[in-house]
Amino acid sequence: MAQTEKFVLNMGPQHPSTHGVLQVQVELDGENIVGAKPVMGYLHRGIEKLMESRTYQQCVPFTDRLDYVSAMNNNLGFCMAVEKLAGIEVPERAWYIRTICCELNRIASHHVFIGSLTNDLGSATGMIYAFRDREKILDLFNIICGARMTCHYIRIGGVAADAQDEFFQKTEEFINYVPEMLDEYNRLFTGNEIFQRRMQGTSIISREDALRFGMSGPNIRASGLSYDIRKLDKYGIYGKLDFEVPIGENGDNWDRYLIRIREIEESARIIRQCLDNMPGGAFKGKVPKVLKPPKGDAYQRVENTRGELGFYIVSDGTAKPYRVHIRRPSFINLQALDHMCRGMVLADSVTAFATIDPLMGEVDC
Amino acid sequence: MHNGTLYLAGESLKEMLLPVIGSELLVNLIMTLICIVILFLLVATSALVFTLGERKVCAWIQVRIGPNRVGPWGLLQSTADMLKLLTKEDIIPQGIDRWLWVLSPILIFIPAAMVYALYPFDDGVIFADVNIGLFLLIAISSQSVLPFLMGGYASNSKYAMLGGMRTVAQMLSYEVPMVISLMGIIMITGSLKMSAIVEAQSEIWFIFLQPIAFFIFLVTALVEGNRPPFNMVEGESEIIAGPFTEYTGMRWALFFLAEFANLLSMGILTATLFLGGWQGPDFLPTQLWFWIKAFLMVLVYQWIGWTFPRTRMDTILSFGWKVLLPLALLNLLLTGFGIYIFKWLL
Amino acid sequence: MWGKGLVAGLRVTWRHFFGKKETVYYPEEKLPMTERFRGGHLVLDVEKCKACTLCAINCPNEALKLRVEVDEDKKRHIAAYVHDIGRCMYCDLCLEGCNFGALKWDKNYEGASYFKEDFIYDAVEEAKNRRNEDE
Repeated sequence: MAQTEKFVLNMGPQHPSTHGVLQVQVELDGENIVGAKPVMGYLHRGIEKLMESRTYQQCVPFTDRLDYVSAMNNNLGFCMAVEKLAGIEVPERAWYIRTICCELNRIASHHVFIGSLTNDLGSATGMIYAFRDREKILDLFNIICGARMTCHYIRIGGVAADAQDEFFQKTEEFINYVPEMLDEYNRLFTGNEIFQRRMQGTSIISREDALRFGMSGPNIRASGLSYDIRKLDKYGIYGKLDFEVPIGENGDNWDRYLIRIREIEESARIIRQCLDNMPGGAFKGKVPKVLKPPKGDAYQRVENTRGELGFYIVSDGTAKPYRVHIRRPSFINLQALDHMCRGMVLADSVTAFATIDPLMGEVDC
Repeated sequence: MHNGTLYLAGESLKEMLLPVIGSELLVNLIMTLICIVILFLLVATSALVFTLGERKVCAWIQVRIGPNRVGPWGLLQSTADMLKLLTKEDIIPQGIDRWLWVLSPILIFIPAAMVYALYPFDDGVIFADVNIGLFLLIAISSQSVLPFLMGGYASNSKYAMLGGMRTVAQMLSYEVPMVISLMGIIMITGSLKMSAIVEAQSEIWFIFLQPIAFFIFLVTALVEGNRPPFNMVEGESEIIAGPFTEYTGMRWALFFLAEFANLLSMGILTATLFLGGWQGPDFLPTQLWFWIKAFLMVLVYQWIGWTFPRTRMDTILSFGWKVLLPLALLNLLLTGFGIYIFKWLL
Repeated sequence: MWGKGLVAGLRVTWRHFFGKKETVYYPEEKLPMTERFRGGHLVLDVEKCKACTLCAINCPNEALKLRVEVDEDKKRHIAAYVHDIGRCMYCDLCLEGCNFGALKWDKNYEGASYFKEDFIYDAVEEAKNRRNEDE
């Protein structure tokens, strides 16, 4: 009987497919994975602590740097938490613009997902196509707020500036382009047998396990649980909008991929509804220059691209928050990596990592 | 009598040299040396052409324009790359098996260059037209497994080790269907001689007689040449660069030289075995036909490589043994019947 | 049939192989910057500036270091307006905090440099240089 020895392979912090600076200690038996331990903290900047020494308005640009490929959603989460704390009214037009921006950013973030997934599966062409389309959205952001990734557009009480006609017009153009874009992805990746073969039935996580790990966002929806904060809380104007929450069946890599493709369609639907029903009025509510929320605390969760993003803010009545805690979806989703990789081969660990879609800026905060 | 463009050029050179030197033996020796130099130049230029060619093809597929800064249309890009690699620091990692590590990039180049001796470039132009040509070709090209394993083992790196192991598994298992798929051609030709195989296609190309074998050969050639979608050996998203992980500068460039020599090799081999080699309608010289076919096949390989994602190790092993091998055997059977029926009809 | 998807994928890349390319030939051809683009150096209008230092107060990262001089008439003048780009995250809060519209971005995104010192500049000095050039 031949004896084999297990060995530990350090993937990262410098590795082509760890999307940033994550170290994964993979324990291998030949090519089979026995365990995969993510080691985090290489990108820790102490944003929660930094926020304690900034005023509420000054905190907002820091949220851009959490999940830097969907900055708008982060802005929204923090601003909503402060609005809840201070009881600030947000005008309706602001809500419509906010929703358009968030959903556009969701599409852009899913572009990054598709791009990095196909790149990790060895098709660099897929990455270029996805990033080519993402560029169109980033250009839209450049028009509306003057920045491409770290937007800092959604502010406490509304948005930074009113959206221009040019923005609405170009958004419309992009929405019309979405079906064509998805058609190309479907022909290039979704229909591709090699692609399907690598994704179907690998790194399965059951509904119960996903719940136990506290996963959220597309990852838990792929396991068959309809858990979308936009539907559950109906925050903002999401209650008025007509959209579906796509749900997977098996919880494998393939479902996690398909869900994101379908979410792009749904986001496009939401944006179209917002564009059609855009109300007039102010783009920002009444916010005092020096914002001093009353003593107390508030927790606000929003559906970020990667899952349930929560901001817990404690106010001591001064202009600066006493304590901020951020529930980061990537951080919590990443815990499942070990569970998902066990029993798979080395190439699958990369796929599983890509379909969890963690973002190191958010994981390490 | 042969009448290929390249062959006639060689003959006239010989006639020019004969009165100058006198002895026919010496002239033949000189001609042989010239051939060797030309073959090595061919291998070296193939790397120069393909470093740019590969990047351009990949860029065009990815809606980019590719290198265009060095020289007109980026033509000097490969020269710039080469200079950069030459001036790079030669990093020798700790704890390596020094001899194996140094030898591996050199050894990998030998089989890649040696197979060029067996290709019929033109009518009557073949360096060694031995009667076991195809057999020798496969035998030589399968030697490239060893340097990969050597490099992987000697590097003292887990990534390199995994890559080396993968090479052995995939190359050995895909040699079997490849050889069996080529058996059909040998049966029809009745000879292993490369020139005879080309000549047998003067009426009809083997791609039409042996479509299954062509498909199998296409897949196995991709695997043997480490081309995507079967480049698990490098597999840059999981094992960085496989056996080449620890190599830098010129040593790494040698690996790449061998890879591009292999790419051209694949193109030439497919063109020779299935597309009638140098043969073609008379309006173009035979030599041109040969290169058109070879480069077209290279383009096909690149096109496939830049479209598909990488397969997984276990999938391609089972694909090789469970799908391609039975298919190759079936092809062998069908060819046998076909030849029998053909003879009976005559 | 197995393999249909592969052929469809090949067709997509084949079309793009001959199709139009997306690349912008960067140094020769530049993308226009939008009206709201944030980036580059701060352009200070010295006449409009009342030296209230609200911009520096608004800055989350203390990227602005201002020196204010008070003359005999008790009027405030801006003497130095040092902007440290290394600390700046282009959040636009300084511009929004300004009540007099004295600040704007010069929208120059080609700001790469080998030296850290190049990222610290004085906007008042730059304003003076601009005026000298105009004259």
